[in-house]
Amino acid sequence: MELAKVIELKESILENNDQDAQVLRDELKEKKICLINLMSSPGSGKTTTLLALNEYFKGKIRWGVMEADIDSSVDAQTMLDAGVPSVQLHTGGMCHLDADMTRQGIRAMESHIAEKSDSEKSGLDLLFLENIGNLVCPAEFDTGAALNMTILSVPEGDDKPAKYPLMYEVADLLVVNKIDALAVFDFDKERMERDVLTRNPDMKIFYISALTGEGVEELASYLIEKTKEWNA
Amino acid sequence: MGEVRVIEVHEDVFAQNNHAAADVRQMLADNGTFFINVMSAPGSGKTTLLTALISRLKDKVSIAEMDVDIESSLDAQRVADATGVRSLQIHNGGLCHIDADMTKRALAEFDLNGVDLLILENIGNLVCPAEFDTGAHKNVMLLSVPEGDDKPLKYPLMFTVSDIVLITKTDTMGFFNFDLDKAKERILKLNPNAVILPVSAKTGEGMEELESLILEAVQKNQ
Repeated sequence: MELAKVIELKESILENNDQDAQVLRDELKEKKICLINLMSSPGSGKTTTLLALNEYFKGKIRWGVMEADIDSSVDAQTMLDAGVPSVQLHTGGMCHLDADMTRQGIRAMESHIAEKSDSEKSGLDLLFLENIGNLVCPAEFDTGAALNMTILSVPEGDDKPAKYPLMYEVADLLVVNKIDALAVFDFDKERMERDVLTRNPDMKIFYISALTGEGVEELASYLIEKTKEWNA
Repeated sequence: MGEVRVIEVHEDVFAQNNHAAADVRQMLADNGTFFINVMSAPGSGKTTLLTALISRLKDKVSIAEMDVDIESSLDAQRVADATGVRSLQIHNGGLCHIDADMTKRALAEFDLNGVDLLILENIGNLVCPAEFDTGAHKNVMLLSVPEGDDKPLKYPLMFTVSDIVLITKTDTMGFFNFDLDKAKERILKLNPNAVILPVSAKTGEGMEELESLILEAVQKNQ
């Protein structure tokens, strides 16, 4: 057996983002908006999960989505078509959003809501930020969210918490998606949970299939409860 | 149907990388080494595919592999165990990509003499690695079927800079709603010269073609 050689390379970028994020979080608390920062790899099913949650949010809470993407408006369009207030944020090639970019998005979201007809002009209890599909950079930047939520889809494999540890340290909530595909892939739930809980013993884990709807109601109830707690 | 508002949120982070890339290319030329940079989203199957590809190629050409990860050594070890080729694990301390300078520093500790083919397994990320030339001769990217056929729309730069796009996990095509024609059309619109090849490391589909493609490029380089 040949041993792998390890070389440590490092580069650091300094930011004053943490302070800015805390200011934003306080503002949102004051306004009674629960901001959830949703992060995952590309193609884990962030938009599909939000669409599935909408079925249970409808009529119970007022909610909206800020869709961040490098290019394209497909996600915001999808949400709008489903009747969910949504704006598309383009990062111009950037790999993540920081607190200041999030604040720009919230302003746009607020004016989007304000432009609606009077009957719909009722504000927001819950606002999702669908971050750029990326397991690395978004984990490093506090967006000012009340909760960080990450999705791990079954086809990506059970080793992701070991390889992208920071994401699983900063997340409060892990949603394992595409569980309808468990039979098609080798995915060791126990190993995955062990790797996650070692790094983050407080992680709340949900198993869902956004496609079939399995587990979505439980997740939706939890998010509604958290929104009410934050806005109380 | 509502109207979509688009708000541009800009920040300039582009770093000059060309000098280091030129140095890497010189090191490669001095040793007659062909270098490919392999990129994809997390969990697209880079390690699995490379393990299968290296096993096919290792008796025909001399191969070395570099694996970049944030902190684990799982991948380099997996490749080394499965194929027996020389594998180097690079830890980049939380950085989201590898650039030419990092490649250069890694190569300084890695004897390229006699290496025909050098493979870099980049960080699983569809954004940042696309922005940095590593000095590689060819960029190879993987798009796995479960990720969906809309990825070229959302991560256009990655598809633009890749010479070869491998559609992986094609054995799961029946399970997921993935339109191969649509994916190809979207990729070719961004990058008309892209070579697109559907593969499955599990069933072996497309692996022979991929092997020939890489072998030919290596031989041409010598």
